[in-house]
Amino acid sequence: MNELFQLAFGNLFSPMVLFFALGVAAGCLKSDLAIPEVISRGLSLYLMLAIGFKGGVELAQNGATGTTIIALALAVTLSFTLPVIAYFLLRAMTRLDTPNAAAIAAHYGSVSVVTFVAATGFLGYQGVFYEGYLVAMLALMETPAIVTGLLLARRGMSRTTVNSPPVLSPQIIREVFLSGSVVLLVGSFVIGWITGDKGMAVMAPAVREPFEALLAVFLLDIGLLVGQRLGDFRMVGKPLVLFGICMPLIGAAIGLFSAHAIGLSVGGITLVAVLAASASYIVVPAAMRLSLPQANPAIYVTLSLAVTFPFNVVIGIPLYHAAARLIGAE
Amino acid sequence: MQLYRKKRVEIFVEAARAPVIIEMIEAAGARGYTVVPKVSGMGNRGMRDGGHLSGVFRNVLIIVIAAEEIAQRIVTESQPLLENYAGIVAVSDVEVVRDEHF
Repeated sequence: MNELFQLAFGNLFSPMVLFFALGVAAGCLKSDLAIPEVISRGLSLYLMLAIGFKGGVELAQNGATGTTIIALALAVTLSFTLPVIAYFLLRAMTRLDTPNAAAIAAHYGSVSVVTFVAATGFLGYQGVFYEGYLVAMLALMETPAIVTGLLLARRGMSRTTVNSPPVLSPQIIREVFLSGSVVLLVGSFVIGWITGDKGMAVMAPAVREPFEALLAVFLLDIGLLVGQRLGDFRMVGKPLVLFGICMPLIGAAIGLFSAHAIGLSVGGITLVAVLAASASYIVVPAAMRLSLPQANPAIYVTLSLAVTFPFNVVIGIPLYHAAARLIGAE
Repeated sequence: MQLYRKKRVEIFVEAARAPVIIEMIEAAGARGYTVVPKVSGMGNRGMRDGGHLSGVFRNVLIIVIAAEEIAQRIVTESQPLLENYAGIVAVSDVEVVRDEHF
């Protein structure tokens, strides 16, 4: 146990985490420090491209195996089922109404790309191997949770309202499947897969060397956003904040054991735990605003961005990695 | 110079809802509209400042200048569409130079 904590917190002081903390502090103190929006957008596109490409190249090197297919099926299963756990936990822990509970549940089944990227940065910083095709798991986990969330909302609301919301409108489908991040992530993955090592020789100066440094800059920016939203904590309330910390731990535990069961490496187990623990704050809020407008975005965005995201980046990632090492070493 | 009386309808609405509102404006018979893609401010939903991650806290301003009956139609039809969304609708009198454009 002692060893677990040493592993977890010995690496708290990576530049990534510290820049994130700087952003949170500056945001809280209302500093005028700001990363111009175009630069932060550019950085987020860069991170998607780099992580997608590296994942594709790794798949080209090692080839697809039975485990690859099982891992992808696991991704879809996790994303469909995690919101159900989140929903009933919310109903038990809080007094939220159905639309809000269902909307929040969808966020927790889906994933945070930035948390995943931060986790790969953490593993890279430690020199730990992970299966590149896990990037495909990331892409697959983004959407199914939205469907589950909307079904939960419909189930709970049919008694109170006459017109239950349509589960997937064409606008939602476009918003989710053709969202810029998904297109770039999947596209870069496929390009990496097709071009393999030769492609990597061309792209490495851009996607490999500066990756962790640029991630640190991006985390500074996200830190600023988190810091600015901390004021909304009052609106969220203590039981929800507690949920925002419990749910990632439950998700991570499910992720850890299922990833271990299908035989992933220690790095892979860590990343699946991170995927299961993380909550979306870009794609799912946009989808929920369109299809479940009764739910309050200030609650779900604050919860996933200002509670769960910092928890995962600062405490979660090292903790899940330490747990993965314990499980993986058996 | 000859001026023509028109109505100016301003709709401040959540970015996510703007496409639906614009569709309605076109269907109501307006011959054009202007969109200010990013506006920020404070209202009964708190600060709407456009936090740039997903756009759920972003508002846009849609301006339509039209004849009175079209303006009326837009105002009436906007109400059910704005349920559960951040939205302000305001109408004012304006005068335009080129009557045939509206």
